[in-house]
Amino acid sequence: MFYSQNNVTLERRNLLILIVLTLFVILIARLYQLQIVQYSRFAGIAEANRIRVISREAPRGIIFDRNGNIIADNKSQYNVNLIPFEVGQNENVYGILSEILKIPERDIRQRVRKNWRGQFLPARIAGDIDFETLTELEERRLELPGVLFSLEPIRSFPAGANLSQVLGYLREVGKEELRMIKDYGYRPGDLIGWKGVEHEYESILRGKRGYSFVQVNVFGQEVGEVRNERSVKPKFGNDLYLTIDLGLQQYAEELLGDKKGVIVAMDALNGEILSLVSKPDYSPNLFSGIVRPDIWNSLRNDPDKPLYNRVTQGTYSPGSTFKMVAALASLEENILDPKTRFRCRGSYKLGRRVFKCWKLGGHGRMNLYDAIVNSCNVYFYSLIRKMDIDIWAEYARKFRFGELTNIDMYGESQGLVPDKAFMDEKYGVGGWTEGNKLNLVIGQGDLLVTPIQMVRFAGTLATNGKLSVPHLGLRYFDRDNDRFHYFAQSTGDSIDDISASSWEFIRKTMYDVVNSRTGTGRAAKVRGLDVYGKTGTAQNPHGDPHSWFIGFVQKNEQVIAIAILVEHGGSGGGEAAGIASRLFRYYQKELVPQQFTSRGTNRD
Amino acid sequence: MKKTNWITNSVSNTNLLIFITVFLLCISGLVALYSASLHMEAPFFKKVIGKQMLWMIIGLLAILAIFFMQRKLLFDGAFILYWIGIALIIAPYFIGNSVAGANRWIVLGLFHFQPSEFMKIIVIIGIARYLSKNDLVISDFKSLIIPLLLALLPLVIVLKQPDLGTSMIYIILVFPMLIWAGARMYHLFIIIAPVISILTAFNFYSFFIWVLCLIVVLYFSKEKIWLAVVLFIFNLSLGFVTPVLWNRLKPYQQNRILTLFNVEADPLGTGYQVIQSQIAVGSGGFFGKGMGNGTQTHLKFLPEQHTDFIFSVVGEEYGFIGVGSVLLLFLILTVILLSVAFRLRDRFSSLVVIGVTSVLFFHAVINVAMTIGLMPVTGLPLPFLSYGGSFIITCFLMIGLVFNLSMDRHR
Repeated sequence: MFYSQNNVTLERRNLLILIVLTLFVILIARLYQLQIVQYSRFAGIAEANRIRVISREAPRGIIFDRNGNIIADNKSQYNVNLIPFEVGQNENVYGILSEILKIPERDIRQRVRKNWRGQFLPARIAGDIDFETLTELEERRLELPGVLFSLEPIRSFPAGANLSQVLGYLREVGKEELRMIKDYGYRPGDLIGWKGVEHEYESILRGKRGYSFVQVNVFGQEVGEVRNERSVKPKFGNDLYLTIDLGLQQYAEELLGDKKGVIVAMDALNGEILSLVSKPDYSPNLFSGIVRPDIWNSLRNDPDKPLYNRVTQGTYSPGSTFKMVAALASLEENILDPKTRFRCRGSYKLGRRVFKCWKLGGHGRMNLYDAIVNSCNVYFYSLIRKMDIDIWAEYARKFRFGELTNIDMYGESQGLVPDKAFMDEKYGVGGWTEGNKLNLVIGQGDLLVTPIQMVRFAGTLATNGKLSVPHLGLRYFDRDNDRFHYFAQSTGDSIDDISASSWEFIRKTMYDVVNSRTGTGRAAKVRGLDVYGKTGTAQNPHGDPHSWFIGFVQKNEQVIAIAILVEHGGSGGGEAAGIASRLFRYYQKELVPQQFTSRGTNRD
Repeated sequence: MKKTNWITNSVSNTNLLIFITVFLLCISGLVALYSASLHMEAPFFKKVIGKQMLWMIIGLLAILAIFFMQRKLLFDGAFILYWIGIALIIAPYFIGNSVAGANRWIVLGLFHFQPSEFMKIIVIIGIARYLSKNDLVISDFKSLIIPLLLALLPLVIVLKQPDLGTSMIYIILVFPMLIWAGARMYHLFIIIAPVISILTAFNFYSFFIWVLCLIVVLYFSKEKIWLAVVLFIFNLSLGFVTPVLWNRLKPYQQNRILTLFNVEADPLGTGYQVIQSQIAVGSGGFFGKGMGNGTQTHLKFLPEQHTDFIFSVVGEEYGFIGVGSVLLLFLILTVILLSVAFRLRDRFSSLVVIGVTSVLFFHAVINVAMTIGLMPVTGLPLPFLSYGGSFIITCFLMIGLVFNLSMDRHR
């Protein structure tokens, strides 16, 4: 009716059909490539897309005392994490978080940067949030895409004892460190043991984090478990048993109270440390998770150094407790007949200098025995005049003064035993005199010891020369093999070249220091218990002298050596000896007979 | 051969075949939509699939309506219809995205009216009307100008919306129609050449190859030598000038143009949508993951899964078999429509059918190519499968138009 004829040619139609077929073939070829040639690749990507690996933090091993009382346990804390990619441009998130967590926005961003592990991985922005904060975050969850919580086990300390420096603490692993230990599975934000046994036994205590696989949607929301992926359960750390006796430790901490100083008690036969107190200390609960910066700074800047382990890191003059070294040297080297007497008039003149004895009126005539029991300086001044400084130093070194005890503790000091070479080096040849020797023999001057060396010294005197290695690690429960391992102790050197009669002589004098009527350590006497000991009063430039007591007791087959130091506590016979007596009395009544010993069992 | 005769000889059988093909495509779309809306917790007719079925029912009514419409009305009113269409696609610029009060769809209350979809039909009719003028000398280059302008006007308007996909369809449909009408291939080449010159100019090798093609074509065409030289120099200089001009643009100006060509640019980073879509299709493998098992779909890694990326849903859950079948259905539909157009006696009807075929076919090809990473994402839906009221009704209208015109009582 209308129109022009349709005059299309067959060629034109076929041309269009050809174009259609060509495009069709291209599409089919591409689909073939995607779905058949590259199928496995895309199937893999699709799986990876939907599966998110969630790590489950493993609790650290529990720390027990020697009798199985819990010292450090685990509890759970909630952390807030943020996935940078999912937060993306959504700047409000930072504002809301800042408001809820009460952290400035700038700090949150800084933490994200600090704990960065990649834009798809959660970075921790806050730890140990309380329940209220958690609820608030949960309520506003929709406004906070990419913000997640994680449950992390942290330390708790149910015991009454602090054991601060013994335990050490956990801190976030540093970026530098991380580079070195990455192969062991540490990640930024992980906690790592620092100082104390937490550090020393890190590899035993540390658990192994587990993984589970969850299906997530494109928004990263979990939409269920993935059925055919096996999740790996977190592996608990191994439980560690310390040589510490919690009861004794607690009592020792109370005994020292607010005083600055040290109490160490050690099994002299095997080096197991039953109690180790360094005051001032701090509550380990401050370090249950990541320590707050303000607390950290106040601990660090405290002039009394609570973080400092006085037992192993502190170096002191030993005072009169060191007289036994010269006494043994004299006995062994036949420098003086022990029966030889000197008259003590309260002072000793050397050239123009006057060296004083602690007893102003003097002790009168003293032989070696009397001189130790009464701690007469004048006798020892006379003795050292006849002794070469190197012989004295040699005997000091026999007791391993001036060396590390190799206790299983971080940052031990080795102290100092001066000999001729040292004195020449320090003061120049001829720059030092007999006067320096006089100071050394009564444990003053350049001589420096650590309390842990002193407790071993006491132990060595108690056991006729046994040099056990002090240690805190007793055994651990190996979760992999389901059995206990005892830590191997070096079989213990001993001093073999001192005669039994000399040991016996010293023991006798140490007994009388405590138990004779004139002994300086009378205050340490305990009824019904043979207490041996020696007091020391170490002069120091900072104030009142430090009060020392070292000693030991024997009960059944056990020999317990102790060293007590009260900084600026006055005379050793007063403060320190008094504490010793109370400690021994506790031991006498309360100490549980040894249940576990390291003797005869080796760790593989 | 026998089958071809059966198709060409029996109009109602042909239409039945078209209907069955379209029906099967719609069914595959609904199956995919069912998957994509599995996680939605809404009453059936509030869900995407339910709404899509409503649109299809409306579409069927539209087929009926257009089937009984007088062809003369269409022919005579073609240009008036064209200007109404132009007015409608301009309207959103003045009265917002909704043309409330200006169209009858507002009666349904929940319809987001997209006049640019219906404009596709209108452009087809307009061009077909022009090309079927009795006094038209199609071998004359001047005869091609009006059809091109008829497509370019809505193209510019829609491009500014911006909707690159739809505006591209307007211009693409012109060429099969011109070919069908008998335009000289050389003229068509002259029209397309500058576009290719500009596009290839950004890469030395592509431009080099293109210039070689240009030389070959110009040499073998038996046209006047001066025209060939002018064309060659024009295209060559276009290729040289384009990168220079581009580089002189300020970055924000470049971005403005790039945004135009990357309308659906994803918010997450380059090619995220396409990558997720390819992962979905590729991980479907040969047999697919099965209905409701597509992790890419159900965990929403796949973007726009109801609309532009519905094909990927099919690919993931029904595999190569599924997408192959869908493509085959489109191929069958295209070939049938071509043969219908070939059979029609009058040029107007034939050209309208070709236009319809072009729109449906290019929609399908561009959409599929986009979802499998052969083309940039332009935002064209897949006919009969993608969710969308205006578009599904437009597709049904086009089919209705074919039914109407194929009932050629004047052959």
